[in-house]
Amino acid sequence: MKKIIMGLATVALLCSVGNAKTLKVGLASGALSMDPYAHNETATNSILSNIFDALISFDKDINTHPGLAVSWTNPEPTVWIMNLRKGVKFHNGSDFNADDVVFSFNRVKTWNKSGFKGKVSAIDSVEKIDDYTVKFITKKPYPVFLRKLTYVNILDKETLEGKSDQWIGLNPIGTGPYKLTSWSKGDHIKMDANKDYWRGVAKFDKVLFRPLTNNATRVAAILSNEVDIINRVPVVDVNRVKNNDKLNFFVQPGLRLIYLQMDQDRDKSPYIKSHDGKNPLKDVRVRKAIYYGINEDAIVKYVMKGFAKPAAQLSPSAVFGYDPSIKRPSYNPKKAKALLAEAGYPNGFEIQLDSPNNRYINDAQIAQAVASSLAKIGIKVKVNATPKSTFFKETGKLNTSFFLIGWASSDGDASSILDGCVHTYDAETGYGRYNRGRYSNPKVDALIEESAGIMDPKKRLEVLRAAQKLAIVDDQNFIPLHYQVDIYASSKDIQFETRVDSRIWAYDIK
Amino acid sequence: MTKYILNRLFHSALVMFTISFIVFFIMFKAGDPVELMLPPDATQQDVVDMRAALGLDKSFIVQYQKFLVNVSKGNLGNSFIYGQPALDIVFERMPATMELAVIAMFISVLVGIPLGIISSIKPNSILSRIIMFFSLAGISVPVFWTGMILVLIFSVILGVLPSSGRGEVYLFTSAFTWDGIKHLIMPVATLAVFQLALILRLTRTGMMEVLMQDYIKLAAAKGVPRKVIVYYHALKNTLIPLITIIGIQFGQLVAFTIVTETIFAWPGTGKLIIDSIQNLDRPIVVAYLLVISFIFVAINFVVDVLYTFVDPRVRV
Repeated sequence: MKKIIMGLATVALLCSVGNAKTLKVGLASGALSMDPYAHNETATNSILSNIFDALISFDKDINTHPGLAVSWTNPEPTVWIMNLRKGVKFHNGSDFNADDVVFSFNRVKTWNKSGFKGKVSAIDSVEKIDDYTVKFITKKPYPVFLRKLTYVNILDKETLEGKSDQWIGLNPIGTGPYKLTSWSKGDHIKMDANKDYWRGVAKFDKVLFRPLTNNATRVAAILSNEVDIINRVPVVDVNRVKNNDKLNFFVQPGLRLIYLQMDQDRDKSPYIKSHDGKNPLKDVRVRKAIYYGINEDAIVKYVMKGFAKPAAQLSPSAVFGYDPSIKRPSYNPKKAKALLAEAGYPNGFEIQLDSPNNRYINDAQIAQAVASSLAKIGIKVKVNATPKSTFFKETGKLNTSFFLIGWASSDGDASSILDGCVHTYDAETGYGRYNRGRYSNPKVDALIEESAGIMDPKKRLEVLRAAQKLAIVDDQNFIPLHYQVDIYASSKDIQFETRVDSRIWAYDIK
Repeated sequence: MTKYILNRLFHSALVMFTISFIVFFIMFKAGDPVELMLPPDATQQDVVDMRAALGLDKSFIVQYQKFLVNVSKGNLGNSFIYGQPALDIVFERMPATMELAVIAMFISVLVGIPLGIISSIKPNSILSRIIMFFSLAGISVPVFWTGMILVLIFSVILGVLPSSGRGEVYLFTSAFTWDGIKHLIMPVATLAVFQLALILRLTRTGMMEVLMQDYIKLAAAKGVPRKVIVYYHALKNTLIPLITIIGIQFGQLVAFTIVTETIFAWPGTGKLIIDSIQNLDRPIVVAYLLVISFIFVAINFVVDVLYTFVDPRVRV
């Protein structure tokens, strides 16, 4: 009997493999637009990566590889000559050439609703040398140039010129492995394999992406075999998925750090009540006390159910700039109390911790756990969890003293968090836009600015690490909590590999 | 009648104007969508540019004024997030919600009223008790629970019905294809359970009250057949409150299918509106609420007209 069942199962498996020409993917969120410059947002980027190509592409570990550019030279620190791939065609049959590259970069840079301006802001000009050679000039030496290029999908000039934003938002024409066949918003996105794809035709003839925003719905869809892959398996359902012998289960450490920012600027901070009326967070000993006083292992274990990695620095190991020498000290409430006493707050103080409640995985619960941890060292924390729309607005106005926030180093380079959150706030240059605790150390600023111009990776790594060490180890400007992880489930009938950048690239799936 | 309709139209316009103002104001106060739209590496200048591109740099009065001018031209603005005309997006999603609401209501009325009548004629019979037991369950069980249990049984365990999505669509609806019907069954059932139970119970209460009236006793004494008494005299007098409730409930179904749509990943307006509120996508929220309030106003109008047919004493 067992043999018969096994036999039947094998037959069923073979049949399903034979028919499995459509790859069905259930996603936690769908695409917002088909215009690749409209929203720089993971879910949209993920779907559009199947339709478009950029000059440079990321592999699953976010290392850079040739994309539509076959090779490049960097004759001067600010000049990049890119040689383009020949014989590539867009989905509508028109040829890919230098004009398309120039057109695309100009649109990213100048379109008033472009969400990718930050990726090209350091590029001064793009020039066509001949049909398959393009020259980029950057404002300064720009070591992260290639990484930034992975975010600029190339559009077809001939087709798009003169078209309205609305039209472009519905009609994606790229050079990628799949072409869009239908998009029913909120229900599905259907794609057909691009038979002329320059890397070779994809394994699956068709791909179907379905936004299944409700966690239970997404899990039900994979359990009932209606989809082949789902992302963001909810933590509560992990065991159901793991114990299902038809499914594979994946845990992929992601790029997003969850951390706390503290007001280190104002002498009187709006949401702190201390016995001397001052802002205790300006004292590094208090900040260290908070770091020692948070039981992160317990947060990972009980709030995240094991699906997060405790963090000791700004970016995870996949990111350029990671420093293996920085280790997280173990939870030490005694030391925390001693540090508080040393700083003149033996009985702690009262503070409000602001947190979004619909932005990061379990954000409000993490804030609660931080509060109960800190209560043990005498710091009374009141959690104020609000929807992300309110949260970002209020923290943007600095209407906060202490808040929980996340950052994904999506370029795979530590410069993004250093520039955006660690450098002193400077509206003019754009540095420190998310430095809402207003941490400021001129030495760190100098290192960050220096690193932006070093083309030698080895030397640059040293400077990035030095900047991070000063900020996070010496000054304790932030309290790192953990890195989020991405959880996936896939049918055993397909071969699926997860990516660090959280994208689902159907071309790699067999 | 003409005067009445004109009067109604004027009132409706006033209601919709007020709603647009309130929603516009709340969304204006709620936060800054640009902050949510732009990636963290955007500079302050990018934020300023984006605000200007969306017209968010102007004062509230100027923004609202511009909105009113555009509305008078039939343009409710473009969605901040999707970049497409807000009204188009709402109408694109509307059929999916409407088909759920219409079919669910149709089934509820078709099944609920007869069952209500049966259980009112012989309130103590076993059949009545069984009906009442299930109606109590139907009215008490939360919608998300019904939905999840149906998915668990019919999709995960039995694997006979698809757990989510709308299936094949033909002529704006999935009710004309077999695949579409399979997708419709569970969400419709989830929505109909509560409505059916409510209508059933209202019919029963109404019928029992009417059946005690003197004129029913008189009719019986005159020798009018029982069937005529129940299905003509009594039912007709029960229908007025019932029609009101059905009207209100239908509006509720259209406006509040959010939970059902989320569970079944149904691409209707309920999901759209939740996403849009979270993203502070004001044009969509305003357009959606205007469309919904228009539907409510229209339903109320239809209900009022229906009264006149059921009860000759009512004059519009």
